[in-house]
Amino acid sequence: MGLWRYAARRLVQIAGLFYVILTVLFIVFRLAPGDPVERMVDPSMDPEDAEVLMAQLGLDRPVGVQYLYYLKNFVSGDMGISFHYGEPVAEIIADRLPNTVLLFTSSTILAAVVGVLLGKRASWSKGRSTDTVLTFSALATHTVFLPWLALLLIWLFAYRLGWFPITGMVSEDVWLDPGATWWTRAVDVAHHMVLPLASLFLIQFGTFLLVMRSSMLETLKEDYILTARAKGLPERVIRNHHAAPNAALPVLTTIGLSLAFSINGGAITETVFTWPGIGRELVLAVSQNDYPLAQASFLLIAAVVLLANLVVDLLYAVLDPRIRY
Amino acid sequence: MPLVVVDGLTVGYWTAGGMAPAVEDVSFTLEKGESLGLVGESGCGKTTLGKALLRLLPPNGRVLAGEIRFDGEDLLAKTEAEMREVRWGKIAMIFQAAMNALNPVHRVGDQIAEAVRAHGPGLGRDAVRERVLELFRLVGIPEQRLRDYPHQYSGGMKQRAIIAMALACRPKLVIADEPTTALDVIVQAQILDEIQRLQRKLGVSLVFISHDIAVVADVCHWIGVMYAGHLVEHGPRDEVLGDPGHPYTRALLASYPTLAGLRRALEPIPGELPNLLDMPPGCRFSGRCSRSRPECRDRKPGWSVLSPSHRVLCPWAKEDR
Repeated sequence: MGLWRYAARRLVQIAGLFYVILTVLFIVFRLAPGDPVERMVDPSMDPEDAEVLMAQLGLDRPVGVQYLYYLKNFVSGDMGISFHYGEPVAEIIADRLPNTVLLFTSSTILAAVVGVLLGKRASWSKGRSTDTVLTFSALATHTVFLPWLALLLIWLFAYRLGWFPITGMVSEDVWLDPGATWWTRAVDVAHHMVLPLASLFLIQFGTFLLVMRSSMLETLKEDYILTARAKGLPERVIRNHHAAPNAALPVLTTIGLSLAFSINGGAITETVFTWPGIGRELVLAVSQNDYPLAQASFLLIAAVVLLANLVVDLLYAVLDPRIRY
Repeated sequence: MPLVVVDGLTVGYWTAGGMAPAVEDVSFTLEKGESLGLVGESGCGKTTLGKALLRLLPPNGRVLAGEIRFDGEDLLAKTEAEMREVRWGKIAMIFQAAMNALNPVHRVGDQIAEAVRAHGPGLGRDAVRERVLELFRLVGIPEQRLRDYPHQYSGGMKQRAIIAMALACRPKLVIADEPTTALDVIVQAQILDEIQRLQRKLGVSLVFISHDIAVVADVCHWIGVMYAGHLVEHGPRDEVLGDPGHPYTRALLASYPTLAGLRRALEPIPGELPNLLDMPPGCRFSGRCSRSRPECRDRKPGWSVLSPSHRVLCPWAKEDR
């Protein structure tokens, strides 16, 4: 099938790109300032012990050899031991990844759905007050500074009103209680997720709204819309059945791009809300010169962005019959 | 009773420079089963006229004066909901650049079925499908192309599909706006034959809009020539082509090549269409007319009646013949 062959070809391209990213990351980390050993070891440790430690970590080898080890370890799935946690990086990642995926998939899907629906409404009432209000809110929330918004939400809803927890993803008492059902635990996580989800949603939905709106306005100029009108179809059918499916295509691209954004926005969101995800781990790892963990997090993000774009391209083929690979 | 009566129709567009009268004081009638070809350069108001008949003008367009009666009913007095019944149910329109008139994300068969369903409530799935198949046979598209998307069709097939769609609800009138302009000449000839055949077979009336007087001459019983928003000549095809009364019609005929007939140099019409916002008070063609008299510019031209059914918006039409 054409689609599968296309997917396979793209996967090969992605693998190539991924190798480039892998190498760039290796170089960047070796150029970065700061000596990891100084962080790991007590300054009073004597130099000989420090050298033993360097040898254990492989940091005394020539850079070329380090690079080959790096590649070999990556291929065999060994991401190294985190300097900071002293645990295998793969385990840390496996532990944090689901939390990040949960937060970002929900916020992106929610923002895309709401943004598309409101964008449709805005374009349909172009120039009237509904449109003005929607476009203005989209621009306002889109341009807000994320950390400020996050802190504002925490201050208002968690600190002043006390509706939501201030930090974290779970309440210890619920999760340590052996009698708690999965349902109470799920509710607990959802309760913690409201504020981070809300801030990501608010930052993201405006983009979708604006893209959908302008795309709808373009689509409405098409001849097939005029024909649909001439066919005597009700406005609702013209909007939802004829205009929206065509207008939604550029929104898909935005979802792919916004995923890349949401991940670096994610580092901020996760840090502000102390959400135990990859983004927060990445910030910690970088600030502590935890090479293995930071490298692995970066690689993971790269992989997610590359794959998300592949998924978007494949979705295009599903939604637009003109696109066949 | 004529099927279509257009009387003193004036349509304007609100623009930054004021109200632009795109169509002014246009009157004609069309009997059931007959066809009228509207010709003129781009910008002369033919498309505006077509859209006004279906009340599909863009938001800045307004009917300023006049009357449109269809089958005895006043179309301008209808509500939007009543108009939806008329659209496609009684009057179907094939738009300019019809290649883009099919929605790219829906199957061709479904788009035609949609029109059938919109105006035939209560039709079952099988009845709708049967009607769509019937329409496909009517315009000569193989059945198995029913489930194809528009981009899988050739230009000529798309045009056939659109004709099928236009006929879906057995309309009394079809307005075809430059339906063959984007097609190559051979396909164009086929589509024109098809339109003519179906028009006769089904007895629908046709308003055929084109910039190409040769195309109109092929298809239509009646010809209306438009210039800068005015209908300047209206009459039976043979009279208009054989004995054109308006200097513009003559110039238009002289500027087109013919295959039959004598080989001669083509004569382009000098000058351009006047600006709609700044029209001469008298005859709108006076600035480009080779037979223009001093008073043409300032005095509204009167009609000359060349035969009971052939009239020309030029007071000198008889003298200059």
